[in-house]
Order: sequence, then C-alpha cells, then structure tokens
Amino acid sequence: MTNRQARIFAVASTLIAALIFLVLTLDSHRQFGELTNAENITPEVTRGKDVWHKYNCINCHTLFGEGAYYAPDLTKITQHRGEAYLKAYMRDPSQFYDEQKHRRLMPTQDLSEQEISDLIKFLDWVANVDNQGWPPRPIMVTGAAVSSAFVADTTRDIEDIPGVADDTTPVTEADDPRAKGEYLYRTISPACTACHSTHPGADMAGPTLAGLATRAQAIITSADYQGEAEDVEGYIRESIVAPSAYLVPGSMYSAGGTSFMPQGYDESLTQEQIDQLVAYLATLK
Amino acid sequence: MRYKSQSVAYWYFAVAMVLFGLQLVFGLLSAAKYLGPDPLLYILPFDVTKVIHTNLLIVWVLTGFMGATYWMIPDESRTELHSVKLAYIQLILWTLMGVSAIIGYLFRYGTGNKLLEQPLPHKIVIVICMLIFLYNIGMTIKKSGRFTTTEGVLLIGLVSSAVLFFPALLYYENYTVSIFYRWWTIHLWVEGVWMMIMGAFLAYLLIRLSGADREVMEKWLYVIVGLVFIAGILGTAHHYYWVGVPQYWLPIGGFFSALEPAALAGMAIYAYSAMRRSGLAHPNSLALHWTVGSAIFALFGAGLLGLAHTFPAVNKWTHGTLITAMHGHAAFYGAYAMIVLAMIVYALPKLTHGRSEEGSTLGYWAFWLQVSGMFGMTLSFATAGLGQVYLERIMGMGYLDAQLKIQVHFLMLIATGSLFALGVALFIYDFFRYRPRFEASEEAIETEPTVTRKR
Repeated sequence: MTNRQARIFAVASTLIAALIFLVLTLDSHRQFGELTNAENITPEVTRGKDVWHKYNCINCHTLFGEGAYYAPDLTKITQHRGEAYLKAYMRDPSQFYDEQKHRRLMPTQDLSEQEISDLIKFLDWVANVDNQGWPPRPIMVTGAAVSSAFVADTTRDIEDIPGVADDTTPVTEADDPRAKGEYLYRTISPACTACHSTHPGADMAGPTLAGLATRAQAIITSADYQGEAEDVEGYIRESIVAPSAYLVPGSMYSAGGTSFMPQGYDESLTQEQIDQLVAYLATLK
Repeated sequence: MRYKSQSVAYWYFAVAMVLFGLQLVFGLLSAAKYLGPDPLLYILPFDVTKVIHTNLLIVWVLTGFMGATYWMIPDESRTELHSVKLAYIQLILWTLMGVSAIIGYLFRYGTGNKLLEQPLPHKIVIVICMLIFLYNIGMTIKKSGRFTTTEGVLLIGLVSSAVLFFPALLYYENYTVSIFYRWWTIHLWVEGVWMMIMGAFLAYLLIRLSGADREVMEKWLYVIVGLVFIAGILGTAHHYYWVGVPQYWLPIGGFFSALEPAALAGMAIYAYSAMRRSGLAHPNSLALHWTVGSAIFALFGAGLLGLAHTFPAVNKWTHGTLITAMHGHAAFYGAYAMIVLAMIVYALPKLTHGRSEEGSTLGYWAFWLQVSGMFGMTLSFATAGLGQVYLERIMGMGYLDAQLKIQVHFLMLIATGSLFALGVALFIYDFFRYRPRFEASEEAIETEPTVTRKR
C-alpha cells in the first residue's frame, strides 16, 4: 500500500461513515416525535426537565441508564412509586431511608412544591418513552431478590423464555386463584414487589406483608379502624383499591391522610385479578 | 529545545499537573462516598465531587493537548510559534475558565447535563480559547511552509474537536434529542477526533524516540485514522441504546463498536513494532515506556473493556452500572492521560534545567505505580459491576441492597486508587523538581535527534 492509497482509505472511510450517520440522524428525527410521545412534552414536563438539570440529579442518578452510578436508576420510577410517595420523598428523603443502614442517603434538596410536581411530570414522561424495552426486568430501589427472577420479566410470556417452559409449570386459567394472585403480585404495574416484601420485618417503601392476614384481623377489630371491611379479605381488597381507607402508622407510609401507595389499581386490574390477588395475600398469615 | 517559543508548553503542562492532582482529590472523595456514610453530605455531596472529578479530567487533558501541540508544532514545522503572547493569553483565559467553573460547581452553578456541565459563558470562553489556539497553530504552520502529515492529522483532530463542540451550545426541548446530540460532542471527541490527536502524538513520539521511518509511520497513521472513523462515527450508536431512538441503532452499535478494538490494536502494534524494528534507542526510555504503555493500555481499556459490554444483548443488563465506570476509567487513562504524560516526559528534559534525559528512578516509580494502581481500580470497578449486574439486574435485588453486598470492592477501589494517587503525586513532584528553561539550547540543536544505534 502506498502513502497515497492509505490517505484515500482514511478520507473515503471517514466520508462514507459520516454520510451513513447523517442519513440515520435525519431518519431518527422523523421518528423522535412518535418514540418519545413529543406531544406529551407539556410546559410542566419542560420545567421538570429544568429542575432535573438545575439540581444536578444526573451526577448521582441515571436516567435511561445514563448518568452516575451512585444512586438508583429513575427511568421507570413513576411506575414503581405513586405520586404521593414521590412528593413526600422529595420533601425529605431522610424520612424514608436510614444512612446508617444503607450507608448513603440523598441530601434534602429544598425543592419548591411546584418544582417537585414538575419534576414528577418530567419523570413520568421519561417512563413512557419507547426506549427499546429497557430495562429487561424492573430495576428496584430496595428489596431482596425475588425467588425466581424470570417471573419479573413482564416483557415476555413465561413460555417464551428458553429453558423455562420445560421445567416449570406456567400459570394458566385452570390454576388455583392463589397461584395466579402470586404471579400478579410480581407482574402487575406497578408491581407489589417494588415496595412490599413478604419477609417478616423487611419493611421497604411499603410495610412488609408477612403476617398480613393476622394483622388485618387485629386491625378491623380495633377501635382506630374507620374503614368498611368486615373480614380479612375485605380489608385486603380495600387496601388495594382504596389505600387511604386505613393508614398504617409511620410518616414514611402516608402524609395528610393520604397513603403513599399508588392509586388506580381498581381501574388497571379486573375484578377477577383483584380477587386472585386478595386470595394470595390472605394466605400470608 | 530547539525553539525558544516551545517553552510555553512548560506552563501548559504545569497547569495540567495541578489540575490532575486536584482531579484525584475529588476522585478519592467520591470513592470514599461509595463506602459511606458521608460526613460531608450537606457540604460536598457526591454529585458535586463527581462533577468536579470528571470536569477536571476534561480540562487537564485538553490543557495537556494544547501544551503538547505547542511543543510539537515548532519541532515539526521547524520554526518559532507565530505568537507566544497569544499562547499565554489563551492559557490564562483557559485556566480562569476551568478554575471558575470548578468553583461554580461547588455552588451547583452548572447545566446539570452530564460532562457538559459548563455554564454557557464558560462554553463561550472554551470556544474563544479554541479559536485563539487554532489561529496560532495555523499561522505558525503557514509561516514555516512546512506541513507534515503528523501535523495535518493533529490539526484536523483539533479543528473537528472545536466544530463538534457546537451541538453542546444549543438548547433541546426533548430530553432524548438532547442525549442524541450530547454524544456528538462527547463520543465523537473521545472515540473519534481525540483519537486522531492521540495518533498524531503517538506518531510524533515514535518517530523521535525510535527513529522509525517517517514515510512508513505516516502511512500507517492514515490507516489508523481510517479505522478509527469507520468504527468511531457509526459506533456512536452504542450510546443510543435504550434512550428513545429507533431500533436500528442497536445492531449498528453492536457491529461498528465491535470494530473499535481493531483501530486500537492497530495503534498498539504500530507502537510496538516501531520500537522493535527500528534498532535505534533514544536515551529517554521513560518516555518510551509512557508511549508504548499508552497504546497498550488504550487497547485494554478502550478496546477490550469497551467490547466487553458493547453488544446490545449484553448491554441491556450492564447499562448504567459500575461496568461503565470500569471501562471509562481504563479507557480515558490509557488513551488520553497516558499520551499527555508521554508528551510531558518526552519534552521535560529539554524544558527544564538539570534533568537527565534517561528519566529518574522516581519517574519509573510514578509510571509503574500509576499503571498498576489504575489496573487495580479497573478490576475493582469490574468486580463491583459484575456483582451489581447479577444481584440487581438479573436476580432483581433492590439497588440499595445490592450496593451493600458489593462494599468489599469499594474497599479495593480505595486501596488501589490510593496506589494510583501515590504514582500521580510522584509524577507531579518529579515535574516540579527542576526549574524551567526559557532559552533554546544550542547543544540540543547540534545533537537532535539524539538517537543512537542500539546494536
């Protein structure tokens, strides 16, 4: 190869690569609107983005997996935590996590109420961007590993996962409602496992559900209880569809009479699914 | 030193050294915060130490590039610099920009956009400095009329760096679009045009240190530039994974970034064979250590460790974990920190009084402590990252709980990071040990290039 040929190679390969890159860039612009739901970028979302930048969030957290690796990824956080929770968290993170236990803590940022609300709108826009199905399994903030990881893979049916269909029994219509409830417990959105564990004493963003049935019995017979449930099943159902009917004590679970548990399960789940969840949760004695 | 004006390089290198030292202070602080709890939570939280750590890196490496260019251009074009005064004005402006940006970050004055945190006034000063710099270099070459290929590659690299900074000055309404163009600056810098700059310094050093034939070295420099751009430009796609862009960026990213090690392997083979074949030995073998070391460490950090997580099927699990920190540290140190240090070590005996050409024992300690320290840090990030990927991403353990399980790797990180810091401290001490020289040396003119037959 002569010097001249080497030079032609360098120039030509650079130009061709640059040309392809520019064409793909133009095509990406054609698709950005649809992929990112650009019509949902309201003034609130834009202000929320400014809040995200102003407080340098990206130098601890990641968004779309980009940023620093010192704090949890927030791409899908609004699908894991309700708005009431996120607002209370942003006001004072130390109410929710203990620096001695986790060895790190988010400093209180002194955001205004407007900033908090805009930021959550922005994060909710992020959560709905079509980002090629990432993450493949939900990235949790706290909690121990689930017993078998594949059930958390909500992007595919269990039967489609190689090696799983052969040695496990898929959950079907004919199964016990309690088995279906356990499956829903991990796979609905937001997943119950994002905030609750079933290990005794392991309180996460929500209280542990270990011993739920026993506690429910005690709660509905106590004088503090103002809800409408008359039995354990009724109490669990009420907790799912109307979380604020009874508030578990603790400033990390509620504020101003409103539970931090996400609202809207009564609409996102069918009656049958709620029955199945209740059937499963009532077994936690 | 053949030309008096080359002495401006000394002050660029001196500023780079101070900023490098400061970068490590903030790096070690950030590492300590991974262990926690953090007594400085409300004084100097992690986001502040981290943004200062990464910004100091960018500023000192660019300062080093500028100094090394001011050193190299008179040598290559055989003339004094166009204007020494402009070079000093540029340095003062640049240093003020860097220092005031860092002070601003302490008070959260920044854009909060990863790696492009510099506020707009600072970005404008960066552009002005770049323009002064390019003007000064361009006029020097024009005046001399001698324009080598090595210079050409360097100059195109520097001009493109300035051009690619422009997307960073714009405002984007859509967060995904802003990510898309952020990588035009960051990725096309570090995996494109900065590689040209690195390649040019590498060629310059190899020609000087090993006496390799210029014709041959410059021919292969072209080939390397070609390979860098085939892989580098379309390899930008690996930053477009999972951020809200069309699907086709996934296979494009996987394919073209898999080619990136080819360019880096080319550079390493280039350096090694130049050294083996020439049969000539320059007395400054410490500079040769840094030069060949840079090519090899870049192949390891940028090439192989990049390849380790660049395929979409792997990256969907490792994206946004400490695996990225593993790759980032080794790649940046190997490709850019080491090549700047190589240029400094090569130029220093001529820029200072009383320093031996061979390099001191202290200099070798600085080299080996840094290389082994950075290797250890890379392994610490790698083991921490692997643990994180398995526990958090695959088993579904919560982020905070998984981080507690990998604490031991953060201890390793701090231990190896301290080793690295010791190596840097020795390097800085060695740098400032001798007083600078401001006159062209007659003796150097007679004996340059000071290359002798090895066998």
